[in-house]
Amino acid sequence: MKSGDSATIDVPDSTASGGATAKGKGVTVVAAPRAGGWNKGVAIFDFILRLCAIVTALAAAAAMGTSDETLPFFTQFFQFQASYDDLPTFQFFVIAMAIVGGYLVLSLPFSIVCIIRTHAAGLRMLLLVLDTMALTLTTAAGAAAAAIVYLAHNGNPNTNWLAICQQFGDFCQKVSGAVVASMVTAVVFVVLVIVSAMALRRT
Amino acid sequence: MKAGGVEAGEVAKASAARYGINKGVAVLDFILRILAFVCTLGSAIAMGTTNETLPFFTQFIRFRARYDDLPTFTFFVVANSVVSAYLLLSLPLSVFHIMRSAAQNSRIVLVIFDTAMLALLTAGASASAAIVYLAHKGNTKANWFSICQQFNSFCERISGSLIGSFGGVVLFVVLILLSAIALSRR
Repeated sequence: MKSGDSATIDVPDSTASGGATAKGKGVTVVAAPRAGGWNKGVAIFDFILRLCAIVTALAAAAAMGTSDETLPFFTQFFQFQASYDDLPTFQFFVIAMAIVGGYLVLSLPFSIVCIIRTHAAGLRMLLLVLDTMALTLTTAAGAAAAAIVYLAHNGNPNTNWLAICQQFGDFCQKVSGAVVASMVTAVVFVVLVIVSAMALRRT
Repeated sequence: MKAGGVEAGEVAKASAARYGINKGVAVLDFILRILAFVCTLGSAIAMGTTNETLPFFTQFIRFRARYDDLPTFTFFVVANSVVSAYLLLSLPLSVFHIMRSAAQNSRIVLVIFDTAMLALLTAGASASAAIVYLAHKGNTKANWFSICQQFNSFCERISGSLIGSFGGVVLFVVLILLSAIALSRR
């Protein structure tokens, strides 16, 4: 440990850096344990976020799928039964959220492997790509359903589309709740993608 | 230190190859950004300039159709405009990445914003797709009738503007992937 060498990097005391003894390898040995610990924390956070996303995605699919409502009275002009498969957009919503929920469940083992192997860059890259696609699918399903729900709540005077929520209150509530759950899933996916990108930076 | 010299030579060759691929990735990122800008701007303009007035007068049906008759289309125009403005503003950062291929923090910033813009663009595009589908087919159960039967060119315009938007979505996914590749190969 020569003190008069101006070309070497100033390695702090070995007690702080965790025992780096060779001058030439000083920087990389100091960086790896800290990055490994950070990566492990990030991977655990990723796993927990995935669990939350599974709950919200499946809740959205279930809420939309069980949104049948039959009105007890008879009206002349309006249909007295409403279900999610009356609207193709809602069918797409249920299928898309079910696919996203299934993908999340299948990606849990990969996430666990990322916790164990903190420097697995290829696996993280794969999860990032698949998460981006799942984000796109979730956002697409949620936004399309939100457009229809908005129309169901407010109607549109310019196109003579009437608001059906005035008759079917429970149906509307369930469907709106499902859309909110899918938007929460989309936000969780955004955080997952950003967290994966940050973890890739340090592998 | 012969072993140190040989190792230094190998490390230099590997890092030169990595540097070359990073530069290629940055150039591809720049090109795709320009393409996505053109796509989203085209979509916004195509939807924003819709205005069809029917030449005849009918009793029950409105005889003029514009994009702001439907709030979803207004959201679509706004979302596409915001995304195309963001892409224009992120071009200098992309050029910076071509010049300095080892930049990491700015790439992370770009990934964060790209992800947020992807979500916004997808939301706008798919909400409009739902309304365009309804305009084409209508829905008998909800007594919503299809407006495309009256307004042909309006319908064609709004359907066509979706193509540019969904193309932008695909390009954004590729952009995020490219940034991730560049990050993991620094």
